[in-house]
Amino acid sequence: MKPAERLAFAERPERRFALAMAAPGVLVLIVTTTLPLLYLIWQSMHNINLAMPGMDRFMGLENYERMWGDERFWAAFGFTLIYTGSTVAMQLVIGLAMALLILRIPRAQWVFRIAAILPIVLAPVVVGLFWRSLMLTPDFGIVDFASRSLGLGSHNWLGDPVLARVSVIVIHTWQWTPFVFLYMLAAIAALPSDLFEAARIDRANAWRRFRYITLPLIRPAIIVVVILRMTVALSAFAAIYAATGGGPGTVTEIINLYAYRVSFAELSLGYGAAVAVVLLALTMLVAALLFRVRREA
Amino acid sequence: MKTTTEKSAAIDLPRRVAIKHAVALAGAPWVLRHAHAQSMDLGPYQNAKINWRQAEGQTVNVSCISAVYFDNLIALTPEFEALTGIKVRYDKVPPGQIRQKVVLDLSAKTANISTHAADPMYIPLYAANKWTEALEPYLNDSKLTDRAWFKPDDMVEAWRRANMIDGRTYGLPFMGETTIQTYRKDLYDAQGLKPAETFNEIIANAKALHNPAARMWGFCMRGMPGAGQNMYIYPSIFRAYGAKWFDAGGKIQVNSPEALAALEWYVMANNSYAPQAAQNWNWPDIADAFSQGTLASYIDGSSAAPVLTNPDRSKVIGKIGYARWPKGPSGNRVGSIWNWALPINAALPEKARHATWLFIQWACSEETQARTSFKWKGPNKRYDVNRISMWKNPDYLASISTAGHNFINATIDGMTLDSDVDWRPRVPQWPAIGETMAKILQSTLVGQIKPKQALDDAQIQVERIMRGS
Repeated sequence: MKPAERLAFAERPERRFALAMAAPGVLVLIVTTTLPLLYLIWQSMHNINLAMPGMDRFMGLENYERMWGDERFWAAFGFTLIYTGSTVAMQLVIGLAMALLILRIPRAQWVFRIAAILPIVLAPVVVGLFWRSLMLTPDFGIVDFASRSLGLGSHNWLGDPVLARVSVIVIHTWQWTPFVFLYMLAAIAALPSDLFEAARIDRANAWRRFRYITLPLIRPAIIVVVILRMTVALSAFAAIYAATGGGPGTVTEIINLYAYRVSFAELSLGYGAAVAVVLLALTMLVAALLFRVRREA
Repeated sequence: MKTTTEKSAAIDLPRRVAIKHAVALAGAPWVLRHAHAQSMDLGPYQNAKINWRQAEGQTVNVSCISAVYFDNLIALTPEFEALTGIKVRYDKVPPGQIRQKVVLDLSAKTANISTHAADPMYIPLYAANKWTEALEPYLNDSKLTDRAWFKPDDMVEAWRRANMIDGRTYGLPFMGETTIQTYRKDLYDAQGLKPAETFNEIIANAKALHNPAARMWGFCMRGMPGAGQNMYIYPSIFRAYGAKWFDAGGKIQVNSPEALAALEWYVMANNSYAPQAAQNWNWPDIADAFSQGTLASYIDGSSAAPVLTNPDRSKVIGKIGYARWPKGPSGNRVGSIWNWALPINAALPEKARHATWLFIQWACSEETQARTSFKWKGPNKRYDVNRISMWKNPDYLASISTAGHNFINATIDGMTLDSDVDWRPRVPQWPAIGETMAKILQSTLVGQIKPKQALDDAQIQVERIMRGS
């Protein structure tokens, strides 16, 4: 027996044991995630409409063809991209800026850390309701009061098509920027200080130190945080549902909300499943792209 | 010797106390129920010539919403349990989610929900899928129902008919409401205004009192999108303009000239005289604004009266008047029909279905309606009982007389004269139609799309829904 073979032979029972130990976990995972996913895909290829009992049938890719010509789906698709892109970009810029700023405060940083946790621990549905009723109600809300006090006038923040989009983007950004802030705070605080000292001796100014030292060093952290934020933004639901319900009309309807409405309000389970499958594919695609960028980094 | 006893007593004491408590705790529900049962007056129920204990030992699972009428019912449930030996478990679900939650249970046939607070507009869907039972076999079985005692025909007819498909009953109304005008009587009197009799008078009254600079808006209707929100109020206007949901050939029709005129009126009235935020308001928001004294009049359900007369929150107590829905251009007054109905899940075994029926019979009976309303000892009375005879009962009328001027007559007229069962299209596809129309109404209200274009789009979508593709 060659040494390598001997090693493999010795490892075999161990590997078998490892498999046996992992099996229950894997099984639970298959039952709770893989099977429902396969069922979702199976459902997306059927006509299942609870309002039309007796018309259930296999229809292959017809649901997907219908989506191709469904204006409301494409509107939701478009807004999902706008929503995800803008909220993630804003979270990143504001969160990073806050982290850089607060690291320069010599004392009481903990106050900011604790304050930052508050929005994160709130349930999104509470955030949506809180913004809808306390902050944005025309004539009564705090934001509207501020706007009137500043001479900008009262606005229908969740009723006007453009303002409603801005509002739901601001709500999501408000809730999740602190997450990016805390993540960035940790990443920057862990950077070696000698590099910055050397740069200072070389008379690099603050912008250059940020651009050529901080940014490259925290790049992996930025990519991870972007992946995390993207997947959450793509699957956002509760805050929009509570604040606008996708309205006015359908302007703040993201794909997730549309899939929910098709399935549970219109009771068209087959088509709803197809919409959900597309959202799943989109999320996986974005995540895969970003992981690739990360590996190349 | 003494010391030892003392010592052992000292050690034993906590244990003894603990045992005593444990016994008390274990025995408590029985003791309480027993004591309660003795103080309960079950006589009025025992007058019914049925065996209330025929489904003893069964459990009935009820899904309902959080509201005064169900809270009072829940508090009375130990009486039902003592009467029948049936256990009742309640699950409170927010009104926005109860339909979806119930549909999941019914369609999967898991039978976790024996009966629930059902939206009458979902009855066609239930019937088409045979998810819930037709109730005639229960009503007509003398072993299960004493008709002379239960008096099913005493329940408000429009509400009963709203739960019927092809002459068969799929749910009984536990409570109900109708649409009425609510207005500030003090302001109307000061200006010599009368409650509106026509749609034009609504606008004239609103104009006379509309003064947003002084935080007073003239008139308001629901703007929030939803099958039960803006599609609660628009169908009344639609029918009052003489529009019909189905043409002579039975084809659905949402873009007739009358429908367009109705939509234009809705948009004009709300955008001219309601607070801007009302584009996203549901009835609690409207009732709040009215009770804060910022609305001169509105049209919505009669069951908001408890909000308007709540001394902790309302600033307009004693200043409220009510009137019937005004006549539309077609001469019709078309109020809504709303009730929470109780159906029986068809996926239950027979014994459990019988237990569920006994529960429904108990909840909808005159005695329970009385005990949850005017005989109720607590502060929260009901304004929404299900029986015509009760709406003539002086004790009941006295208990709701605090609602304000003319509430009782306006409500009785609303539910007996102004209710139209086909106020909304009663088809299994209603959930999809309601949602689609709701979205389109709100897009029109916020000015994203013109009314004509909106209804033409709606027509295409609604036809697609009816085809099931």
